[in-house]
Amino acid sequence: MDKVHKASRTLEITILSAENLSLNRKSIKKNVYVIARVDPTNFGSTTAGFEGGSNPSWNEKLALDMSFQTRFITLEVKCKTSSGDRVVGTASLPLSDILGDYTPESCLHFLSYRLRDSRGEKNGIINVSARVKVPVESMSPAVTENPVRSGCSSSWKQPALGVPVGHQKSYYGGGVARGVPIWS
Amino acid sequence: MGNCCSEVAGGREAGGGRAAAAGNDAVNHFLKSRGMYGSQMELSFSATNLRDRDVLSKSDPMLIGYTKGKDGTLAEAFRTEVVFNSLNPTWITKHTITFEFEAVQTLVFCAYDIDTQFHNIDVKMLKLEEQQFLGEASCVLSEVVTRPSRSLTLDLLYREDPTMSGNPRHCGQLIVHAEECISSKTLVEMVLRCSDLELKDLFSKSDPFLLISKIVEVGLPIPVCKTEVLKNDHSPAWKPVYLSIQQVGSKESPLMIECFNFNSSGKHDLLGKVKKSLAELEKLHSNGEGENLFLTTTVGHNHQNKVLKSQLFVDKFSQSSQRTFLDYLAGGCELNFMVAVDFTASNGNSRLPDSLHYLDPSGRLNAYQRTIIEVGEVLKFYDSEKRFPAWGFGARPIDGPVSHCFNLNGSNNHCEVDGIQGIMTAYTSALYNVSLAGPTLFGPVISNAALIASQSLANGGKKYFVLLIITDGVVTDLQETIDALVKASDLPLSILIVGVGGADFKEMEIFDADKGERLETSSGRIASRDIVQFIPFRDVQSGEISVFQALLAKLPSQFLSYMRSSNDIQPNI
Repeated sequence: MDKVHKASRTLEITILSAENLSLNRKSIKKNVYVIARVDPTNFGSTTAGFEGGSNPSWNEKLALDMSFQTRFITLEVKCKTSSGDRVVGTASLPLSDILGDYTPESCLHFLSYRLRDSRGEKNGIINVSARVKVPVESMSPAVTENPVRSGCSSSWKQPALGVPVGHQKSYYGGGVARGVPIWS
Repeated sequence: MGNCCSEVAGGREAGGGRAAAAGNDAVNHFLKSRGMYGSQMELSFSATNLRDRDVLSKSDPMLIGYTKGKDGTLAEAFRTEVVFNSLNPTWITKHTITFEFEAVQTLVFCAYDIDTQFHNIDVKMLKLEEQQFLGEASCVLSEVVTRPSRSLTLDLLYREDPTMSGNPRHCGQLIVHAEECISSKTLVEMVLRCSDLELKDLFSKSDPFLLISKIVEVGLPIPVCKTEVLKNDHSPAWKPVYLSIQQVGSKESPLMIECFNFNSSGKHDLLGKVKKSLAELEKLHSNGEGENLFLTTTVGHNHQNKVLKSQLFVDKFSQSSQRTFLDYLAGGCELNFMVAVDFTASNGNSRLPDSLHYLDPSGRLNAYQRTIIEVGEVLKFYDSEKRFPAWGFGARPIDGPVSHCFNLNGSNNHCEVDGIQGIMTAYTSALYNVSLAGPTLFGPVISNAALIASQSLANGGKKYFVLLIITDGVVTDLQETIDALVKASDLPLSILIVGVGGADFKEMEIFDADKGERLETSSGRIASRDIVQFIPFRDVQSGEISVFQALLAKLPSQFLSYMRSSNDIQPNI
């Protein structure tokens, strides 16, 4: 069990709101919900909103366990209709947006993604906040649970200011060099 | 369109659906990014240990306040009442001033002892040369509002010799206290709904939106707020709209609420309108009543209001105080200035007079220097340490490869310099130590700024960073720059871009959401908020300094959108 526990991490994702949703080119009145999916069998769902119409707000937090091999989360916005649940739009949330080159772990991010309908057409925006929680034994006591912006974990290592850190990915290929001039 | 978002953004795409989506995105983005600036401040004054100029009693002090123009001229702004027989007066008179973040607002205060023979004369009629001068002090308004207590203590200085020679005597202290007016902090949230809108589209229902405008005595109404467009809806309920009392004048000020049918051509059909004040809208909400829309028709030479079946309802009306930019400053938040200078070869050899980097022996500033001064002299007041990261990009150091982000100070270890003068010195020094090269890349400096902002956020810092990029050309790494900007939009960072020289900067406007659409990466991530402002320097060269002010004016709203983005607008006093 310990081995399994250490091989996974938890994504805390708060489904905040969506903007400008439509179904068959018509405004949506109600019953919109979101599924955040790691894989077909690992997902979380919000409740169906009865207010907000095409601009629903949920502010619901979901916790998803995921392996270190997980690369992205799928966000599906759905609507309950008389003919069944319909997909309004989907978006992919790459884990690299949360665990980027210069972002400390456990930092809370506020992210927005374009939703596309089944035809691939733009269909509004989804807004979420998310962070990856490290295993409990590694967590700093100071880490806040409040999703309002209050800083990030203090475990972030201090990079050299003004100079790209050596381990960073190269910004560009093609032999373009980066560096700091040496004043004599 | 006044303060509303651009119609062009909404009408740019072909097809009603896409245009409506683009228009709605633009509206949402505009509303999120719009914050509070131009706040009204009420200044109050007191003094301690004034000079005692009366023989048989204490002084009778009066304070006169002046605003100092860019050319150094003083304009009298207010006079207090006379406080009798006191060396430690607290004046009752308050002075209301509009806080303009984008300007350096210099205030000068002069204290006088009013002679007994003039005590019964209106202070406005007093001749200052007939009074006893007690002392003078000056400050910048931003120095006051950035204090945690919003109080600034100034030494009153007195010179025996009017010719300004010799050291001034310290003759007491003046305390200036600032409070933001309630109207600047009060926000009204409304949810508006219409019923039975008239059909305008031939084969479908209307695509309605509301435009709310402030009615002025002379001229056309001034738009202050706009809803999103709802598709195929004759009984629309829009997202909440937010208005500050300051925006509309007062709760009793009349507003025009117009309902339009959206057309992608940009020529929208008026479906009806209502003229109401906020107070009247609140009453509609309380009573659960609707108000019929009307249209103005022309019959001969007369205008008549045709009352329609359609109605406007106020489903929600709430009023609250919100945390403003000035509140965050008083709470200890700071703005940290950063600068990145273009050192690509397209600027021309800096030793030649036609180079954009030419250092004129007469001391006349080039475009880069002037931009640094104009922006830095405003922002420096919002950082207590005044240590500013300064980079160059697109140059080749001696015997090295091209660097797209190098420290202006020449250090390998740190990028910060001391004060605005430190930036200027580092800039001129760098010109002699690197070779102009290329190409023009923004991505690395943006990522470096984002790195610093991220570190500050990780450490729980209260700093918000402002990166000024000054460039003479169009970027080569357009997509990489967009990606960097989208990633940075989640961090406490804003970016100002100034284009110098005669290049075509059309492509730059893509980055500025005021002039383009919200930035989106190729993978579909959308900028959480607008963090970029762009202006071409040639607009400034005409002598219109206000262009720099326009560049800076949006910063408070960008700052607030960062603070509020977790829950849009959240009352939190």
